[in-house]
Amino acid sequence: MASGLYSQHLDRPYVYKIRNLLIGLVLLFCAIVVLFPLVYMLAWSFGPNLETASSSYHIFPTTWTLDSYKAFFDFSDYSWKWLFNSFVVALATVVSNVVFASMAGYAFSKINFKGRNFLFFMILVAMMIPYQVTQVPLYILFVNKFKMTNSYLALILPGCVTSYNIFLSKQFFSSIPTALIESAKVEGASQIRIFNSIILPLSKTVLAVMAINTFVGTWNTFFWPFLVTSQEAMYTIQVGLKTFKFANGTLLSPMMAGACVSAIPMFILFFALQKYFLEGVTIGAVKG
Amino acid sequence: MAAKTAKKSIPKKPFRFTVDDLNGYLFIGVAIIVFAFFTIYPVVSAVTTSFENYKPFGSEWVGFKNYLDTFKKDLFWKSLKNTAIYTVVTVPCSLFIAFVVAVMIMPFKKKTQSLFKSMYYIPAVASGVAMSVVWLWIYDSSPSGLFNQVLTLFHIPTQNWLASSKTAMLSLIIMALLSGHGSSIIIYIAALLGIDNTYFEAAEIDGATFMQKVRYIVFPLCKPTTLFLLITGIINSFQVFMNAYMMTGGGPDNNTTMIGLLIFNNAFKNGKYGLACAQAILLAVVIAGLTAIQFKVAGDDVEY
Amino acid sequence: MRKNKVLALVLTAVMTLGLVSCGNQAPAAETKTEEATPATTEAEAPAATEEPAAEAAPDTITIMVPPVTADYADMLATWIADFNKDYPNITVEVIPTSWDEHTEKLSTMAQAGEAPDIAEVSYSAIGTYVDMGVAVNIADYMDLSDYDQNALDYMTLDNTVYGLPLYLTIQALGGNKELMEAAGIDVEAVQKNGWKYEDFMKYIEKGTTKDCFGFVFANSGVTTADFVSIFGVGAGITSNFTKDLKYAYTSENMLNLLKAVEEMTKSGYMPNYAVEAGQRLVMLECGQTMITGKAMPLFEGSVNKNNAGIADGTAAEGSVEVQYVFLPVPTMENVKESCFGSVDGMIALKNSNSTDEHLKNVCAFLDYICSGDRVAATDNQLYLSCVCKSGREAQAGATLDQTEGNAAATERCISLVQAPPTGITAEQAANAKTIMDEVIVPKFQALIAGETTAEDMFEAVKSEAFDLLGEDNCETGFIK
Repeated sequence: MASGLYSQHLDRPYVYKIRNLLIGLVLLFCAIVVLFPLVYMLAWSFGPNLETASSSYHIFPTTWTLDSYKAFFDFSDYSWKWLFNSFVVALATVVSNVVFASMAGYAFSKINFKGRNFLFFMILVAMMIPYQVTQVPLYILFVNKFKMTNSYLALILPGCVTSYNIFLSKQFFSSIPTALIESAKVEGASQIRIFNSIILPLSKTVLAVMAINTFVGTWNTFFWPFLVTSQEAMYTIQVGLKTFKFANGTLLSPMMAGACVSAIPMFILFFALQKYFLEGVTIGAVKG
Repeated sequence: MAAKTAKKSIPKKPFRFTVDDLNGYLFIGVAIIVFAFFTIYPVVSAVTTSFENYKPFGSEWVGFKNYLDTFKKDLFWKSLKNTAIYTVVTVPCSLFIAFVVAVMIMPFKKKTQSLFKSMYYIPAVASGVAMSVVWLWIYDSSPSGLFNQVLTLFHIPTQNWLASSKTAMLSLIIMALLSGHGSSIIIYIAALLGIDNTYFEAAEIDGATFMQKVRYIVFPLCKPTTLFLLITGIINSFQVFMNAYMMTGGGPDNNTTMIGLLIFNNAFKNGKYGLACAQAILLAVVIAGLTAIQFKVAGDDVEY
Repeated sequence: MRKNKVLALVLTAVMTLGLVSCGNQAPAAETKTEEATPATTEAEAPAATEEPAAEAAPDTITIMVPPVTADYADMLATWIADFNKDYPNITVEVIPTSWDEHTEKLSTMAQAGEAPDIAEVSYSAIGTYVDMGVAVNIADYMDLSDYDQNALDYMTLDNTVYGLPLYLTIQALGGNKELMEAAGIDVEAVQKNGWKYEDFMKYIEKGTTKDCFGFVFANSGVTTADFVSIFGVGAGITSNFTKDLKYAYTSENMLNLLKAVEEMTKSGYMPNYAVEAGQRLVMLECGQTMITGKAMPLFEGSVNKNNAGIADGTAAEGSVEVQYVFLPVPTMENVKESCFGSVDGMIALKNSNSTDEHLKNVCAFLDYICSGDRVAATDNQLYLSCVCKSGREAQAGATLDQTEGNAAATERCISLVQAPPTGITAEQAANAKTIMDEVIVPKFQALIAGETTAEDMFEAVKSEAFDLLGEDNCETGFIK
């Protein structure tokens, strides 16, 4: 339906339905396996605010309460501020990535400029250096040179255009026929115009993917925000969750409740972007 | 085609600044500035540090000592081997799973599709620490651990999952395979949706079977995506350390010590920052080599 | 229409960044004043004398602490206010961290040359900072006579004192009194006189029933290191190095220790699987083990709290009433009894604005929080006695929620602790740490899993130690 890939058996609705049912069942089974840890996390977030022996761990808690959620929001005056901070940082990172990484990805795949391959190679190489050793120079840069501790800029700038997203968009744009661009050029369109009116409409799906992945990635980052914030008011939710965890020992339920709270904004974004994930783009249609 | 024009234009007018150059630099401008500050600078700094006995106040230049020390360490080679095993198993398997799931989601109506997509994506949003607690319970070596309960159900003796050299690496691999395909799946779906229906219609006329369509249309057209996922997958897998850090601490007998964990320990626990930098550079060289091979194997037909 | 889309997006991006940079201005201003301080301090440095003059130059001190006790951050805030009465010119900035990532953050900051002035560390980590060249010889800036020598020894490397101790914790075993007595153990005698390893093995055999282990030691992952250090003391290895500064884990005592561990794991009186750190106490509270480790005197409070919770449903699921007893570590043949002690404290660190005058201020504050009422309040919460005279005086009035037997056993164990020998260099300490992290702990995990033998492991430790430290610097005989 959505794809010509599955056009077999269209003439035999019975076989068609059974085939889809079987595929659906396999997918459902795998999904249950994958979702299990999450169900466990959600269930235990409603568990009692107590220590539990692993010998008495069940999949579901025996008593259900909202204590752990209450404990989370009562724990610090800044609980809401942490969520807000994370939101600001993640949103700014997403916007700048979607704009600048996709522009760079387009240039790397479709514009023939000097030094293109070398620069792209550099971007790839940069991904290969583990973060453990780049944190110290980055810290020196932000703290010693820029004097930026406890600021949103320090939280946003290092991730505002990532190699990963440049690479992702480059790979995606490279599957758009060059002929499309060439013909627009012949008609006298500028590169900005081509990017704006031909490429972007064709790339909603990949931009949505980039947005959600970047949002999730930024939202879940712990170490860098932990390094550059020292005032509670500037913590992100992940840093805040850590302090919460250790004020309470290793209590299972409050920790799971915290994890659930921090996951909610990502669910919302995911569902908000749903319609873009589903928009199959037909290049042929645009061409015609 | 792009490659051809590039070859032609360069020898003709080697020093002319073309419109394409201007456009290119304009488009990558912001990215490159950000990149220079927050990536190139730290990387260059890590490279110089790798030749130093690093001290915050007064490092001394030691030449290749950090590299030679690294080569002499059995643990470095062992962790490289562990990481390679982990990568060789998890990356292709994950890619295969993500591809198959993405293809399997395609035949459904939009609503069903989006339901499945959310189900598979959701695990990607859960925070690592909370998930590791769940997995620690799943792998708990006592008879009350989830996997052990399942084994008891089938009258198989309980296992010492994370604490035995026989099963520790396997446990980490299973964990990787049962979680974290969400973003690969949606990236594949984006690629699948980008395939023009006319290809399938043409194949239909030729009487192609489902497998033939996958083999001759979907595979080649998803190649850039596959290459992207493969390369980033290998990079991430070679740098992985969170799982070992949270779940096993590298044990038992260093059987799950990943190179990322070794670098982490040297940089942040043992204060041997110069050594950590040298090991990180060596790791980057290994990954760069693998990436170059993949680009070669994938060939030039990625761009058309 | 679409033409404006990119423009709009770019504008949004720029605006968001702009908005965000506004939020940045306040902290930036703060840092500027901080930056200005060293210049002024330097200028007035010659004028300053012992007594902090009222017109002393303003200074800012940073202190980084994990939650040493549950409300340490709150207590610290009140101490800072009190401290400011005497030193109005000094501003103290607190950087709170969590236990898990404290080391990583501290290490990154120190390597960037931006270490906090004061940080909490365990004595075993001091070598790292000394090696980095950021540790401060605090004896240059303050008087150390208030502090106990044996506790200061832990904060000392190569005869230089780098920090002040907060407390000396003893780590040994804990037990369920009722179950132990049922197994025929004279608990009071053990608390008073210690016990032999052979007897310990017999007892845990008797204590093992269908639903209850004789002994459970948390040994999963990195907690394995505790097993080595705590039972190591029972085998006669009280520190990484012997009195004549030879590496101790290559001695015959080590082989005895490993054989004993092998025997324990194979006995069946102990779980043959890895036990998570969080589980041991819950197992004790639920009557699933007779003896557990590692245990601290502090556990008495947790167990009592749990006992009280049985009635109102706040106890761990499956809890039974347990009377907690703190127990010494069993001692092996021909070994003088001792107890494993560990010191946590605060060290002073150098950063890019450390001047002499600044360090003097830092040490004044360091001394303030590590002594008197402050350290007494901290140690009371941890069921520990202070390791400085002023702290002990302040602590004298306080009574702990501890039975007489446990209090006496705690005191006895503290008196048995042997401080590490003086004269260990930073390099030796670093090498010992490497051997511990890269060979002993991993091999020990394999030994517990039954995948290597005591002899094989011993050989592996020896070969690494000979390699790093030289055979001459390793003890191969028996340490008495």
